[in-house]
Amino acid sequence: MGQWIQWLTGNWLQVAIPVIAFLASYVVGLWLRRVAYDAFNRWIARAKWEGSRLVVETTRRPFLHWFLLLGGYIAIYVSVLPPEWKTAGGKIVATLFILSLTWVVVRLSEKLLELSLPKLKAPPTPTTLVVNIVRVSVIVVGVLIVLDIWGAPTTPIILVLAAGLFIAGLALRDTILNLFSGAQVVWGEQIKVGDFIRLGSGETGHVTGITWRNTQIRTLEGSSVLIPNSMLARTTLTNYGHPVKEATFPLHFSTRLHLKELTGLKASNLRELVDTLKQVPDSVVYYHTHHFLEEHHYLTPEPANDFALWVSDALGNEVLGERLASIDTFDFSTMGALKERLVDVIEDYLARSPAGGTAPEGREFHFIRSRSIILPTPYVARDLREFVEVMKKITIDSIYFHVFDARLRLQKATNDFSIWIEDGLGEQELANEISRFDPYLYTLESLRAKIIQLVEKHI
Amino acid sequence: MEEEIYRQSKSKIEDYETIVGRSYIEELKILGDRLSGKIIQNINSTYVGGGVAEILSHLVPLFNQLGVDARWNVIQGSDKFFEVTKKFHNALHGKDEKISPEEFSLFLEINQRNLNELNFFGDILFVHDPQPVALIAKKDEIGRKWVWRCHIDVSNPNQEVWDFLRGFIHDYDAVAFSSPSFSRQIPVSQFLISPSIDPLSDKNKEIPPEAIDSVLAKYGLGQDKPMIVQVSRFDYLKDPIGVINAFERVKRNIDCQLVLAGGTASDDPESEKVLNEVMERAAGNPDIHILLIPPGSDIEINALQRAATIIMQKSLKEGFGLTVSEALWKRKPVIAGAVGGIPLQIQHRFTGLLCYSIEGAVYALRQLLTNPEYAGWLGENGRQHVKQNFLITRQLRDYLLMFLSLYYPGDVVQL
Repeated sequence: MGQWIQWLTGNWLQVAIPVIAFLASYVVGLWLRRVAYDAFNRWIARAKWEGSRLVVETTRRPFLHWFLLLGGYIAIYVSVLPPEWKTAGGKIVATLFILSLTWVVVRLSEKLLELSLPKLKAPPTPTTLVVNIVRVSVIVVGVLIVLDIWGAPTTPIILVLAAGLFIAGLALRDTILNLFSGAQVVWGEQIKVGDFIRLGSGETGHVTGITWRNTQIRTLEGSSVLIPNSMLARTTLTNYGHPVKEATFPLHFSTRLHLKELTGLKASNLRELVDTLKQVPDSVVYYHTHHFLEEHHYLTPEPANDFALWVSDALGNEVLGERLASIDTFDFSTMGALKERLVDVIEDYLARSPAGGTAPEGREFHFIRSRSIILPTPYVARDLREFVEVMKKITIDSIYFHVFDARLRLQKATNDFSIWIEDGLGEQELANEISRFDPYLYTLESLRAKIIQLVEKHI
Repeated sequence: MEEEIYRQSKSKIEDYETIVGRSYIEELKILGDRLSGKIIQNINSTYVGGGVAEILSHLVPLFNQLGVDARWNVIQGSDKFFEVTKKFHNALHGKDEKISPEEFSLFLEINQRNLNELNFFGDILFVHDPQPVALIAKKDEIGRKWVWRCHIDVSNPNQEVWDFLRGFIHDYDAVAFSSPSFSRQIPVSQFLISPSIDPLSDKNKEIPPEAIDSVLAKYGLGQDKPMIVQVSRFDYLKDPIGVINAFERVKRNIDCQLVLAGGTASDDPESEKVLNEVMERAAGNPDIHILLIPPGSDIEINALQRAATIIMQKSLKEGFGLTVSEALWKRKPVIAGAVGGIPLQIQHRFTGLLCYSIEGAVYALRQLLTNPEYAGWLGENGRQHVKQNFLITRQLRDYLLMFLSLYYPGDVVQL
């Protein structure tokens, strides 16, 4: 003890200088922290950046620790310690500084990312993923610097890490691609929730949610489909923009499919035709005046009905054929009334020309009855844009059901589309325009095109 | 093993989406869904050979792809039994056949044996053609739904055979015919379900122009003049001599060539005779080409039909005549005899031209050769007509609807 005191007395200056240097660093650190944070706080007050509080909270205490470490470092170097001790001490101080700095950067980046990512509509999973990626990256850099300080070879470690990253990148390439595409979708604001979109691959519907990895749409069939964002980036995307007025109730599309039931009844001449026609049920008249339209829907001008066609072609009676063809099916809302009219026209003709001709063998008129099954389709329209897209997709049987069948079902000169457009959307003018069509004058395909054209013009 | 043969799918149901549209296939799936839980048991007389086996080998896998549990069994019979059923077949076609009481007894005996040996597991027993028709006797014991599918032309049947079969047919829940002219006033629901073509088969699929050129080169056919083609086996009922007569009269004013392509049937000794007569009649006319096409040359038939300017099917009698639909599918103007199922496929002056005589055929040929625009319009209409009414997807739909109608009676059913 006595020797120590004696040594200190003789070398007090060699001890005092490092101590003074250390204390001076601490004092300078305290002063600088006050000056710097005051200036920073003034800037914060002007900038109103939410993250500033986090920066202050996270760095305030370590800031002083760094000056203590700086003081320690200076003290070691101005001391009279042997050179190898100085080197080791310097490395220890530098290591402590790097570890402290790494910890601060990790904490700060975590807090800043947790603050900012939710504002970018980032869902929890990608936020955690991004935070973890940043945390690991910073720690890895910190460790590499420490290793470098201690002279450890870092190149092999860097190579191993690079290889690991490459493999991880390959394994997670879809996720990474989706994340990048998601960033493009979110920041680029190419699409927004509520938009109506159509992809080149065919998916069509309203956007109901966007995450970093997927975009969710509600399709015309009413189902929810998750589309990877990478697919959005690769395909052609048509964005029709924000939804148009939503109907108070959706239009569910149905279809009516027909089965032809043979009655075993046939006619070779006009007398047999009219006598049998009087006996058959309405479903037979329906078949020969309506289902017939579906079979020949592509023709323009379309033959009017089976009876007119048979009389003209098989009997060669163009005069009566013309009279039967001129009966406007649009005028009759019941099959019974239509049948009466057909019977009247044929009987009137027979009263004046009783012969009327006979069909060649094999060309007899066979009475066929329609058996129908009505089925719901998966298609639903909630607004006019969805209506147009569904109209482009459904079969002609479905159009037939909502236009031709509706007239007979409702027994009035309108159709399901007009009723929905008027009652569900309040668009009376458009509804009237569609119901004014005489559907019997169009092929089903041209009727589809006409309705789509009208609605698109309205949108 | 045999079950596996028919379960192998030649085409996927989704392959037809590009032709009939996705919505059409979706509707088929909805219909299939309504039949889920029901087993459709097809019963006929053979897994291979013949039109019915070919149709079932296409349809059964497609039914299964639509979610309908369709299966297929065949009855077992002796050579003698099949000789008798061949006689039935001819008699139903209107041919004068004498069938002895012993032959009727053999028919019943073989059906009874199958009735005892066959496992009837189906909810719907779908029996094809006359051979297994008497299996309906099982209905009293097991109930279930029974449908008889008649694939043959019974518009003018031998009355004795028809009366014999009618006793069984009346016990079925439904009967399906290919043409309205085959129907009778019987106390059973009768449905019209026309046969169909498969647009993806070798006979009907799209083929490149080089494939067509190669077939034409093989048969030494040039494309320097309009080509009139009739594809059918050499049979008096297809009237090949009538076609040559019509061609020669047209040829006086319009330069064109005629191709009669077909085969001879091994079970029809008359076909060799017809072929010889046709060859003799065509001899000396370099613009008439008689092509003997071996069985299974579907791509060649496809190529000849696609190379044709006009396709003829001047049949005097016809079952259904699907070669007309094959031609129409290829957008060809068709002139055909108004017999059998042809008037269903050709709406005169809209999807083709019907004729009743050689004079009618001559008139139609002249009209089409001198009015290519009109011929093209008919061809395009024909294509649409087949697309709507004679593709395999339509036949699938009709069958599904018929099966559903067994459980849901009424003119209009909402499911």
